[in-house]
Formats: sequence, C-alpha cells, structure tokens
Amino acid sequence: MFSKNILRLSSARAFQTSSKRSLTIPFLSTLPQAPGGVKGTVNDAYKPPAPHKTHGSYHWDFERVVAIGMMPLVGTALASGNISTVGDSILASLLLAHVYVGFQSCIIDYIPKRVYGKNHNYAMYLLTLGSLFSAVGIYKLEAEEIGIIGAVKQLWNHKEEKKA
Amino acid sequence: MSGVLRRCAFRLAGTRSLATTATDITPRLKTFKIYRWNPDKPAEKPRLQEYQVNLNDCGPMVLDALLKIKNEQDATLTFRRSCREGICGSCAMNIGGRNTLACLCKIEPDISKQTKIYPLPHMYIVKDLVPDLTNFYKQYKSIQPYLQRSKVPEDGKENLQSIADRKKLDGLYECILCACCSTSCPSYWWNQEEYLGPAVLMQAYRWLIDSRDEASKIRKEMLQNSMSLYRCHTIMNCTRTCPKGLNPGKAIAEIKKALATD
Repeated sequence: MFSKNILRLSSARAFQTSSKRSLTIPFLSTLPQAPGGVKGTVNDAYKPPAPHKTHGSYHWDFERVVAIGMMPLVGTALASGNISTVGDSILASLLLAHVYVGFQSCIIDYIPKRVYGKNHNYAMYLLTLGSLFSAVGIYKLEAEEIGIIGAVKQLWNHKEEKKA
Repeated sequence: MSGVLRRCAFRLAGTRSLATTATDITPRLKTFKIYRWNPDKPAEKPRLQEYQVNLNDCGPMVLDALLKIKNEQDATLTFRRSCREGICGSCAMNIGGRNTLACLCKIEPDISKQTKIYPLPHMYIVKDLVPDLTNFYKQYKSIQPYLQRSKVPEDGKENLQSIADRKKLDGLYECILCACCSTSCPSYWWNQEEYLGPAVLMQAYRWLIDSRDEASKIRKEMLQNSMSLYRCHTIMNCTRTCPKGLNPGKAIAEIKKALATD
C-alpha cells in the first residue's frame, strides 16, 4: 500500500515537472540546461557564437538567391509547360538547394546543438546524405528520363492513359 | 403584522439609502481568469484562478482590474507594474491571448466573456504574472546599447547629427523593452538562449544606423552567425503585438539587408 502510494506520488511529480519533456523530441537524448537558461552571473552579457560569415550573411544571401532564382524558372515552366533540359536541370538543382537550406533551418531551429548535442550533427548528416541521393536522382531524371517538369506533367497524363 | 410592517419599512429605508449611491446600478461583474503559480509550493501545478470585478467601480484598463483584485480580493496576486501609462514596460503580460501592457489594454466591456491573463509566454516564471527577464537583459547588454566613438567633439559639447540622420532613429528609440515582441516570437520560444529576439535586434539596429556611432563594424560582426540574428524567419508576430506600435520586424530586415552586402 505504502509503496503503491510512493509510486503514484512519484509518477504524479514526474508529470508535473514534465514541461521540458513536452518541449523536446521523444527518444532523443538531450544535454543538461542551465537553470532559467542563464549562463554565468546575471551581470554577464550574452556571448554570441563565434562570427562566421558562411553561417551568417553568406548563408542568407545564398538562401535568397536560390529562392529568387527559382521564381522565373517555375514561372516559365508553368506558363509554357516545357523548358530546355539545361533549364530543367537548373530548376531541379535550385529546388534541391532550396529544400536543403529549408530543412537545415528546421534542424537548427528544432534540433539545436545547444539542447541535443551530437543528435544535431546526426540530423545534419542525414540531411546531407538524403540530398546526395536526391542529387543522383536528379542526374538520372535529367540524363536518362523526362526531367523534373516532365515528371510533374506525368501526374496529369497518367489518368488519360488509363481512360484510353 | 407589526413585524411584517417593520420589515417592509426596513427594506424601504434600506433601498432609499442605497438609491443615492452608485451601487444601486446593477453591478457589471466581469470574470478574470488569472494564471497563478507559487514558488513556495513548487509541487503544485500552475492554475487559473477566477476573480470577479465590478466594472462599475473599476478603471477602464486591465491593470486597474488587477490592482482592484490585489487591493480588495487577494493580496497574494503578484505582478509587476509601475508607471500605469505605458512608458515603463513593467506590466507586460499575455491578456486574452495577446502580449500587451496591462496599463494600455482596455477591459473588454462584454461581461459575458471571460478575460484570461497569463504571464509572457515561454518564459521562466518567478511567481504568478512575473517572468524572469534575466536572459533578456543579458542579451540587451551584449549589443552594447551605448554610443561608441573614438573622438569627442572639439568644443566639448554635443555630438551633432543632421535632422535627416536623427529621423532614422524614429520608430526605434521609443522601444521600452517590455519584451512583448520577443516573447511572442516562436523562434525566440525555441531558441531564446541563443537568438537575440526582435526587441534586442531592433535596438542593435538603432545603434547600427546612428550616424554618431563608430562601432558599426563590431556591431555587425557580432551578428554574423546562424543563431543571433538569422533565427528570424519573418513571422512578424513582433510587429503585430507591439503595444507601442513599433516595427521590430522591419528593423531586423534592415539589419539583414545591411549584412547582406557587408
């Protein structure tokens, strides 16, 4: 009876202090955090990570150039329904870069190194691996098959084939 | 019979004496649900406590209602307040789902609706409506919010600035650092230990474009990493919630623009 009570108490207490657990991804190990998220004394200023333009402005410039570069390509592809293999390859590569940067941003946001330590790196490796596979896939799609625009087009053609 | 008469007389006298006071008007009882958490009992879960306030003898703002509750109903209710006119930024809290200053937020007059009051979201709570802003102030300190120059003016007086240069600071210097914008930003919720947040970044920009300041190189270099500035994803909750009507989102965009060609 007594041990049962203790069990119930401890489980109830665990639930009450579960706020951190409800904010982190299950099954991923986390690092211990400073109480109140405050490092050092209250009078020390926040210390930013070491300056590195490839993680800062260059990264942001790349992100914007890719996003803006995709706009005319997607526009012409939608309007004309067909662009050259070169244009198609550029569109596919830019799309891959755009998706890579987007997922990278998600990982930095939701699996930060500060909280997840090595798991952050593993997530990045996984993303890089997936992107490499996609790059090979894009090469095959462009060199041997119909290209990315053709692949998108097929979504509509397929039904007609079935009817016929 | 005489007893009934007496009671009637009593009631009449009673109503008559009340008729001259304001309380004769039917009380408009508004329900406030307020977040409570006591650090002395940490095992107790935070809860919402209900209070009813008669709007007929209460000021128009939410802060008036909070003060009325603290004075008349529950002295243990804890919150920060100081100037009661939106210039100190102490009473920042989440009222009806929006971060704002309690002293600038009118009480919703519809008494059929409850008003819920929480502390600023995703902050460590000291007690009730009081969040821990230590990290926020440490971040503010890190951007060096003061004028940095190598030389002082020769006449030993002011650092002069053209009217056009002074105009650039409008809409930036008015910030009272109430932390409403930073705590409304989802990106700040996830990474507030490293991302500076809209309030601090707007002040970083305020010093970056000050024509009298000569430290813009260091100021820009400090932001050249993936966390301090570039966790902003232009969600724009900051601009939407600012109780002073400022635009931190635009300031951050301007910093990004300045860094892009740096």
